[in-house]
Amino acid sequence: MESGERSLTILSDLALEVFPGESLAILGQSGAGKSTLLGLLAGLDAPSGGELELFGEPLGHLDEDGRAGLRAGRVGFVFQNFQLLPTLTALENVLLPLELVPHGDAESRAREWLARVGLGERLGHLPKQLSGGEQQRVALARAFVIGAELVFADEPTGNLDPATGERIIDTLFALNREAGTTLVLVTHDHALARRCDRCLELVGGRLEPIVGEEAGA
Amino acid sequence: MTAQRYHALRLSWRGLRRDLRAGDVRALFLALVLAVAAATMIGFFLDRLERGLTRQAGQLLGGDLVLEQSRPFDAALRQTLEEAGLALSDQVDMVSMVSHGEAFQPVSVKAVDDAYPHYGVSRVDRGTGSEALPSGPGRGTAWVAPRLALLLDLEAGDRLRVGRAELEVGGIIEREADPSAGFGSFNPRLMMHVDDLPATGLVQPGSRIEYEILAAGPAEAVAELEPLLERLRRDGVEVRDVRRDRPRLGSALARADRYLSLAGLAAVLLAGVAVAMATRRYVERHLDTAALLRCFGASQRTLVRLFALQLLWLALAASLLGALLGLAGQAALLALLTALMPVELPPPGLAPLWLGVLTALAVLGGFAGPTLLRLRRVSALKVLRRELDPLPPSAWLVVGMAAAVFAALLWLYSGDPGLSLALLVGGGLALLALWSLGGALLALLLRLCARLPPRGGEGAWQALRLGGRQLARRRSTSLGQLLAFAVAFFAMAMIALVRGDLLGAWQAQLPEDTPNHFAINIQPGERAAFEEALVGATEARSALYPMVRGRLTAIDGRPPRQAVPEEARGDNALRRELNLTWRETLPEGNRLVAGEWFAARPSAARQGWFSAVEADGRRPPVPISLENGLAERLGLALGDTLTFRIGSDSVVGEVTSLRDLDWDSFRPNFYVIFPPGVLERFGHSYITAFHLDDGNRQTLRRLVNDFPAVTLLDVEAILARVREVLTQVTRAVELVLGFVLLAGISVLYAALTASLPVRAHEAGLLRVFGAGNRLLSRVQGAEFALLGLASGLLAALLAELAVAGLYWGWLDLPPRVHWGLWAWLPLGGALTVGVIGHLLSRGLRRQAPAASLGLLGET
Repeated sequence: MESGERSLTILSDLALEVFPGESLAILGQSGAGKSTLLGLLAGLDAPSGGELELFGEPLGHLDEDGRAGLRAGRVGFVFQNFQLLPTLTALENVLLPLELVPHGDAESRAREWLARVGLGERLGHLPKQLSGGEQQRVALARAFVIGAELVFADEPTGNLDPATGERIIDTLFALNREAGTTLVLVTHDHALARRCDRCLELVGGRLEPIVGEEAGA
Repeated sequence: MTAQRYHALRLSWRGLRRDLRAGDVRALFLALVLAVAAATMIGFFLDRLERGLTRQAGQLLGGDLVLEQSRPFDAALRQTLEEAGLALSDQVDMVSMVSHGEAFQPVSVKAVDDAYPHYGVSRVDRGTGSEALPSGPGRGTAWVAPRLALLLDLEAGDRLRVGRAELEVGGIIEREADPSAGFGSFNPRLMMHVDDLPATGLVQPGSRIEYEILAAGPAEAVAELEPLLERLRRDGVEVRDVRRDRPRLGSALARADRYLSLAGLAAVLLAGVAVAMATRRYVERHLDTAALLRCFGASQRTLVRLFALQLLWLALAASLLGALLGLAGQAALLALLTALMPVELPPPGLAPLWLGVLTALAVLGGFAGPTLLRLRRVSALKVLRRELDPLPPSAWLVVGMAAAVFAALLWLYSGDPGLSLALLVGGGLALLALWSLGGALLALLLRLCARLPPRGGEGAWQALRLGGRQLARRRSTSLGQLLAFAVAFFAMAMIALVRGDLLGAWQAQLPEDTPNHFAINIQPGERAAFEEALVGATEARSALYPMVRGRLTAIDGRPPRQAVPEEARGDNALRRELNLTWRETLPEGNRLVAGEWFAARPSAARQGWFSAVEADGRRPPVPISLENGLAERLGLALGDTLTFRIGSDSVVGEVTSLRDLDWDSFRPNFYVIFPPGVLERFGHSYITAFHLDDGNRQTLRRLVNDFPAVTLLDVEAILARVREVLTQVTRAVELVLGFVLLAGISVLYAALTASLPVRAHEAGLLRVFGAGNRLLSRVQGAEFALLGLASGLLAALLAELAVAGLYWGWLDLPPRVHWGLWAWLPLGGALTVGVIGHLLSRGLRRQAPAASLGLLGET
């Protein structure tokens, strides 16, 4: 992966396979290229070289629209800065991905998922009326409501205090287990990474397995 | 409709409803509503007003179309006119002698039928006070003018003799329904029924009689008859219609019409600017939505469809509301005006409604289109990397697209492609100049602010310095706002300026002491005595002009009809005797536009032309001065020679000067002026015009008694009617101005709403650093005031240039510098933007810093 006017190699010589149902943590320092890798894996961006497959489909020959089509209804996202739309209520934010394709029971599903993350009473609240933790829980409901097969989480606790972050992570893993979703989590937090089935660290543009005590568990 | 399309419609509708929570969508909606309301209100109003005013002009004329000739019209023509959808009324005009007892008086007879009048009512005193009657005199009766009653000592019920018939005086005419008809006749009016004419025996072969058909009907019907009318003109029939033959009403109407269209356009332009400003913010806010939707798997097409449909809903809702507002606005306006309008206006048509919807779509597409396309190019990766915003569209594309759409609307409204193109090019250049000028002005202001003495505390200087620095920090946004405000103030100022000058020009044309009486037939022997009689009675009077009647018989030696362009062959000047005068100096109200006045050729004027006979017995041509309009119509230029038959003699004149004059001045005006020393030897009389107040009836009676041979014409009724029309148009103009101001405020609202998040962030920061409410309020006030001041200055410059161009090219008014503008526009701008901005940002100052700072994160 290269970027900028002057060629800058961010990721190189990477080989990674993520299996259905597994949870994978990608660790790395700030600026190591974690988000770039996440963007590539989710098909949000195209690599300057190499091959990528999502759900067994090679991404190389797909344009941005083709890649979007592959994600539709199958991929969920959780972001560090929540990415809730400020003029939409909690319920409407969760409804957003469901509305892209006609769903008869979209609203009841959204309500149900909000209830599952403990926000059944806050459906009509705007993001600015919710705390950071509550906002991230709305984002979790939004990621899982579509029945995602794969969820990407980018530093999901980065903007939260440790206690709230802990609760969010508990919820995330609980939902993941219940739904049998594949989870790719990007973080710089080793403790959080250790809760995943597998951990990889991004160092100098390459992925290295974390072994021994570091991997823990 | 497929399920998917239905889903897209529902989704977009839902999205729009949610979006209404955001200020920018509300601003967008408001701007669109205003654009549609302005377009439809002015469309509806103009449509109806114009039809109404044309009808009123028709009332002055007696019909929408008037045909006149010296023999009866044949039945075939009558049938053609009726088949074209026109209602006809017959009228016969002649000069005859009437008597009452021993007294005789020549009168101007107007014989009318049962269909008279097409429009309006006559005011007649039938012995029981003034009444409004929608008909003419009945059979066996006659209505007489007050002057005739005075001269023949008549009262209602008296009998008078007209030719061989005897008629009963049915009433004294205070105002004829068609007062200007017969204006050319100098004798007092007598109106009678056309069926009584045969009994009078006045219609004889050889008698001078004018037969008229007065036709009333829709303008389109008259327009369709144009080929026939052209043929009639060529056959010597005098054809008059409301637009061609009422110069005053015609020009007032044309100007009002243009003004209203111009104001409508200004409102639409302003709304367009507001739409552009609101769209920018709308798009910026939706970049995140678009990126998220991309993440969730939405294709580019889905995104485009979603946002396009959403905005289409917005445009439709705005069209509906705007059209309703426009309809209500014009109804309110007409309710205000109906009292002034003697005619009932036709109901509103549907055409302006479509114009409104079209306007909304065009404004949205043109002013918002390129910015909206940015949403299409959002990358899904933006959710991870915020800096990945797609580049804003090139300013050239945005401005170019908006300008093209605006020019198209301009074309649609004005029907003048040349003007649209000129304004488009001029506007583009002006914008370019504005951009650099605005930048320079902003830089200068900020430099001045930075140099303000740093006095302590929360003083005005500190507020100005801080406010200036805030503006400098977001230079490009500030410049954008500056230009938007400048355009808004410019449009408002221009419409206000044109209104003032337009009304001023109208009022100047008809000042309080405009002559309301003409005196003609003043014999040379009475001249001095008449002048003396007037001196004591009124200050407002024109000079006494000698008048000789002569017919134009040759142009450069050729018969006039052959010498003039084809379309001028039916011109009245070729068919009738012209009133010629002589004069040493240029008459009051005349302007020389080509050649030299006689005084500049002393030898010519003073020698006495009839003594200078050349050796071969032929007289050299006499220098003459010609009215410019006539010269243009007949294709005449300096150096052409005109031959006039006066009595049994001929006079040849060479055109040595051309004059512009104001036919609407209610003063004696002449097509042809000779130098002194040429026409004196022909029989002549004098004409003058003067103003007499209503209460000065005694003077009139004295003049009638002392100068029985002099004919006095009262034109007060015509004057009053013309003033009435101008008053109505003035009201309309003022209301439309109010609408433009409203549209201007919508720009301010949209621009300020769009800048609120950034301002909130700044206010939050200042708060965090310890700024009090008072300081914040002052800093924001100073910032807005500086913006307003700079945009006011720019707008003044732009308005001055544009108004000069408009007057010169479109409204036919002399250009002038408006000094006041340079003072009140910057000050007014500072005050308006200051106050509105201050009010809109009041909420921000009440917010806790945390909330204000959070606001920015939502963009």
